[in-house]
Amino acid sequence: MKVSFLIHNAYGIGGTITTTFNLAGALAERHDVEIVSVLRHREHPNLTPHPDVGLRALVDLRREKDHPLHRRPAGVFPSAEYRHHQYSELTDLRIAEYLEGTDADVVVGTRPGLNVHLALQAPQRVARVGQEHLTLDNHPPALRTALRRAYRRLDVLTTVTEADARAYRRKMRLPGVRVEALPNSVPDPVLPAADGSAKVVIAAGRLVPVKRYDLIIEAFAQVVAERPDWQLRIYGKGEEEDRLRARIEALGLWNNVFLMGAATPMEAEWVKGSIGAAASNFEPFGMTIVEAMRCGLPVVSTDCPYGPGEIIRDGEDGRLVPVGDSRAFGAALLDLVRDDELRRRMGEAAVDHARRFAPGPVVAQAERLLEEAVAARSGGRRGIPGRGGMRHALLGQGHAARDLAHAAASGALRTVRGRRR
Amino acid sequence: MSTARTTELRTDCCADPDGRITFRLRLPTATRPRLLLVLRPKKGRPEETSLILDLEPCDDRGHVRAVLEPRPVLAEGRWDAYLLRGPDADRERLRPGLRDLRLLVGGDTRGRTSPVTVRVPYTTVDGFLALRTWRRAAHVEAGPLDLADGTMTVSARLHGAELSEDAAVELRPRGGGGTGRVYRVRPAEEGAFSFTVDCADLVGETAGPRIWDAFLRPAADAPPVRIGRLFDDVADRKGVYVYPRVTVGGAAVRPYYTVDNDLAVEVTGTG
Repeated sequence: MKVSFLIHNAYGIGGTITTTFNLAGALAERHDVEIVSVLRHREHPNLTPHPDVGLRALVDLRREKDHPLHRRPAGVFPSAEYRHHQYSELTDLRIAEYLEGTDADVVVGTRPGLNVHLALQAPQRVARVGQEHLTLDNHPPALRTALRRAYRRLDVLTTVTEADARAYRRKMRLPGVRVEALPNSVPDPVLPAADGSAKVVIAAGRLVPVKRYDLIIEAFAQVVAERPDWQLRIYGKGEEEDRLRARIEALGLWNNVFLMGAATPMEAEWVKGSIGAAASNFEPFGMTIVEAMRCGLPVVSTDCPYGPGEIIRDGEDGRLVPVGDSRAFGAALLDLVRDDELRRRMGEAAVDHARRFAPGPVVAQAERLLEEAVAARSGGRRGIPGRGGMRHALLGQGHAARDLAHAAASGALRTVRGRRR
Repeated sequence: MSTARTTELRTDCCADPDGRITFRLRLPTATRPRLLLVLRPKKGRPEETSLILDLEPCDDRGHVRAVLEPRPVLAEGRWDAYLLRGPDADRERLRPGLRDLRLLVGGDTRGRTSPVTVRVPYTTVDGFLALRTWRRAAHVEAGPLDLADGTMTVSARLHGAELSEDAAVELRPRGGGGTGRVYRVRPAEEGAFSFTVDCADLVGETAGPRIWDAFLRPAADAPPVRIGRLFDDVADRKGVYVYPRVTVGGAAVRPYYTVDNDLAVEVTGTG
């Protein structure tokens, strides 16, 4: 089977890039695999792809950023997509040419706008697999409307959580499209797991508001009041750094809470802790939660949409607490801080349970999905027979009407604002 | 400047509290490979001090391993790590892989004897593997630092010397000139003690930043011992252990750790 991954920019940094490189590399053991990057802005990617995975770009910004067609807004890539401003008539054209000429059996799109290209422009012979790394409910209504029209032409749509897959099945009528959750995978750790003895809580990620590191710091004040020999280490960089520093100073926590800066790989840092912490308001998946668990840490996390609740089993391998509640977060941390035996037991359970996110099972599922989509295409069928029936169709239409109304309203608002300028 | 080739080989290492460091990398084809550690000389000076360890096969998947034992004691400084693939091979600078320093994290609750030695593997600013080392006849390990009502109180512990009844902390102006400030210590058990500095003492009449370095005199006639924080996995503490400013009149007083992890106090503005 020949597999082609279509990605926004393989030369940058981020979860989608990591996951795509991992999956492509694993599939390359048995299949012919390439990664096609719409944009390229530097010579080498930050991650090194598997030696058997081909990598090429469609638009090289180092040479073509002033191309006349690149100055005109994209028409195929939906205008409501988050990255529309980086797309153009040039990307429309190059993506269309790539899809028309591809000899792949299956093309995998890795973000909504590229899935739209795939749905509308891939030749009949090519199986079309769209991946969603964000969530339907968090997409703006205008984007949902654009996706609703296009996604029915896909063979398979994968989400990173079951909850998001359910949202697609319930709120979009996608007859004949197989909608399935395919979680991100986290490589097998090399180091021995943490043994639960360290008096260290660890959090990691980009320091941005949605991750709510401020809430973890506030919650940790409760821990310090009772156990001043514990510390919290926050790894990562970002716009929130100064605000978080100010929060640490205001709460008098400079002997216990540390902004460690970025660390790659995180594995050697996770094993220095005995509890992981994640307090996001919104988390489509929750890669760092899985990383921490695979390193032997029970994780205290907010139960935000959608990832954490599908990764952590509350009370078994970690704790789930309400979003935005620092008292509850602090209390959950303290339960683990006070009880060495509980921490050790939950840490062992975390290692055990998080194995389902190892590359082995995730790649096997992806391979099966791709092979079935290719087989269905070549047999003149698509995906699996549509689900739902009348009730499902009506429900889907209700959501469609609401999104259309919202999109129209916000469009009108934009027009009004536009005139005012 | 070194003109050595660089290699993309990632070297894992593992450290224990006694100072033992185990290096491990995958090197299936080399003959008699060795690990070279070179003490980074002062700017403009030639390299003088180095150490070579044999890399021995340690599994059947091509990994080799070298163990740096706690003795001999290494000179204080930064040691860059290189690979020598064979007897006549040029040295290749090594990149870090996983640095397993978990056994260093808890600090050290034992009393240390003289000389006090510490080794922490770290990643240089330009991304290479190096070893940070300290070697001191005696050492004062700083602990929690409290700031309240214009004062700074530090809890600490003396290692490698005896704390006598007339022990005192001295803050000395960096670069000489001016007189130091002396503070009595409140002794606790096993060499532990604390001291309190009134931040207003450190504010002078001249503008411009001024830095005070912190020492302990264990006894009236004993040489001064630097106060610092060395006993964990943090090789560069300056940007991580960050303390708030204390405002005294028009001046700002801020304790911090130097690039050598020693305790200092910076004063900006005047009283």
